[in-house]
Amino acid sequence: MSQSTDLSWHQNVEENGRQPPLSLQDVHVSYRTRKGSVQAVRGVTLDLQAGESLALIGESGSGKTTLGLGIVRLLVDTAEVSPGKIIYRRDGREVDVLSLADGPMREFRWRDCAMVFQSALNAFNPVLKVWDQVWDTAKAHRWNNREEVRERFLDLLRFVQLDPSRVIDAYAHELSGGMRQRTLLAISLLLDPQILILDEPTTALDILTQRTIIDLLRKLKEDLHFTMLFISHDLAIAAELADRVATMYAGQVVELGPVEDIFYRPRHPYSLGLIRAVPTVTGGFEELSSIPGSPPDLINLPTGCKFHPRCPYASERCSSEEPKLERVGDNHFAACWHTDAVQDDIERNGLRGKKRS
Amino acid sequence: MTPILQLRNVTRYFGSGRDRVTAVDSISLDIEPGEIVCLVGESGCGKSTTGRMIVGLLPPSDGQILYQGQDISAMDKPDYQQYRRAVQIIHQDPYASLNPTQTVRQMIMTPLLRHQSQRSAQNGSGGGRRSRRRDVERRAAELLEIVDLTPVAEFLDKYPHQLSGGQRQRVSVARALTVEPKFIVADEAVSMVDVSIRVSLLNMLSRLKEEFDVTFLFITHDLALAKYFAWEGRITVMYLGRIVEEGPTPRLITDSRHPYTQALLGAVPEADPELAKKKTHIELRSAEIPSLLNLPAGCTFHPRCPYIAEGECDTVVPPLERISEGGSVACPVRMSEPTQII
Repeated sequence: MSQSTDLSWHQNVEENGRQPPLSLQDVHVSYRTRKGSVQAVRGVTLDLQAGESLALIGESGSGKTTLGLGIVRLLVDTAEVSPGKIIYRRDGREVDVLSLADGPMREFRWRDCAMVFQSALNAFNPVLKVWDQVWDTAKAHRWNNREEVRERFLDLLRFVQLDPSRVIDAYAHELSGGMRQRTLLAISLLLDPQILILDEPTTALDILTQRTIIDLLRKLKEDLHFTMLFISHDLAIAAELADRVATMYAGQVVELGPVEDIFYRPRHPYSLGLIRAVPTVTGGFEELSSIPGSPPDLINLPTGCKFHPRCPYASERCSSEEPKLERVGDNHFAACWHTDAVQDDIERNGLRGKKRS
Repeated sequence: MTPILQLRNVTRYFGSGRDRVTAVDSISLDIEPGEIVCLVGESGCGKSTTGRMIVGLLPPSDGQILYQGQDISAMDKPDYQQYRRAVQIIHQDPYASLNPTQTVRQMIMTPLLRHQSQRSAQNGSGGGRRSRRRDVERRAAELLEIVDLTPVAEFLDKYPHQLSGGQRQRVSVARALTVEPKFIVADEAVSMVDVSIRVSLLNMLSRLKEEFDVTFLFITHDLALAKYFAWEGRITVMYLGRIVEEGPTPRLITDSRHPYTQALLGAVPEADPELAKKKTHIELRSAEIPSLLNLPAGCTFHPRCPYIAEGECDTVVPPLERISEGGSVACPVRMSEPTQII
């Protein structure tokens, strides 16, 4: 299975160092529009460690999907990724994804970095049977042994708990939403990629179907130690599946840390606001509070900290000076001038709202 | 007190012959004035069809819907018109439910003007056209304030595309309020809105209940939201067209009895890593939901249910029976087994 890929590799300097397979370095993405340039991603620096699952959370317009699509370079033509570097490493070698030519880029996608898209129905070709699409994919990556491909795909279908005979000769519309999502996951694993990017993998699925997908992804994470990047607006997905969480707001990572730190010891007001806005099912009743205002206009961004117009702790400094990610704990970073105030608030008022019996 | 709304064995089919789908299968539900009832279930369970029948957008195939004790299919025209005004719906998708060519002002004022002219025709009182328009303008501004679209002047002349999802949904609510409804069906009204804004919308709806005495039927697939919104009300769980369990929210959340309710509660992902690890999940025998075209006999949940009693569950449709802890459960096998998900 592990045929060598044909990327224009650079020999990595630190060959023996345990380098992360993916490093984003100061990545910017903007979209050209008639009204001006939309600053969708502004200076994201992030390492994806081998075997970890990292969740990018944030609301619509926070830049999380743009960032995901940027990594596999599937953005629309009006998008520009610059400046910034997306360093990909495998077998002690590294390459800047943004510098790859079309051919190597096609190799990189799927074989090195596969993406599972949000809308499973749209990800399939409606006039091809599932198997034909799988075979197409394999051929495009010069894997021409039909028997071998079929064998591998059947294994994968069983792994995602689907009955291969039901799926392999079906058209996408003949499958239920959950089956489609699982089939898509199986196809994404076909070429044994090193990194899996999942964009809202459970959104629009029913609760019980969501659970089967979450359990499946957990199996990928815990048993196979897959390196995964989750993109989701749903905090629950992060809580269920992530080792680390990056909160995004207005195109930037505003907080980054181990999942327990983000959920129990958040230091950015936006992360805290999200936690206080989301109800849990089990347990008693908790008061919720929403974040006032609405997300910023990405063409005319506020000055200083982009969250300051909605922030309860905002001071004068926030409207003039933009905070950078600073260390607030072991592997825990937040971009806020008032992380102490956030900590105080949690100590005084509790993490979540008041309980009612 | 007469319930404001009653469903009596309401059934709704779609299609005919072999393609006939039973979306709602003989459900009965009483809602008292001022109550909050949440209708919860997965896609295809019939919750939206039920909502559409309640507001009169869809006639039932069988059974009766009573508004203030009166069968809506037997009402005379004035009564029916009054019912249609009194029962309003807020749709899921604020991008589709607002006319893109109208400003907020037009959307709010059109029903107000129509409503008012009808009322003055009834009362025989005229009033100048101009003063009527002034009244209506004032009322429109009030309504926008009620739904927190302030400063009002900033929103009156906006088109839907100039508003965010949350703001659009507020316009939908203001529009529903123009006719002074007594009963509002909110069909997934906050599911398309960002999490940080959801709560303020929910709180605004709760306030309407207090201030205007509106009774709510809140339709959602999200149990966590249902719990939050209807903590002082009731939750009704539907599965494949039938009600499988209903009861006061705290009881239903902490001590559910129907295996399907338990499966749902256990499956909901929690935005809390510790809770997510601790939760017990009910292992279902099948992950696939049966097709509405070919429903299983007996209890429709039996092919997936881990507690199946062969010979019973697969033959007899279980009736909804009351339990002493509050509400009722359609599962004779498990109804007296207290269960906690945590």
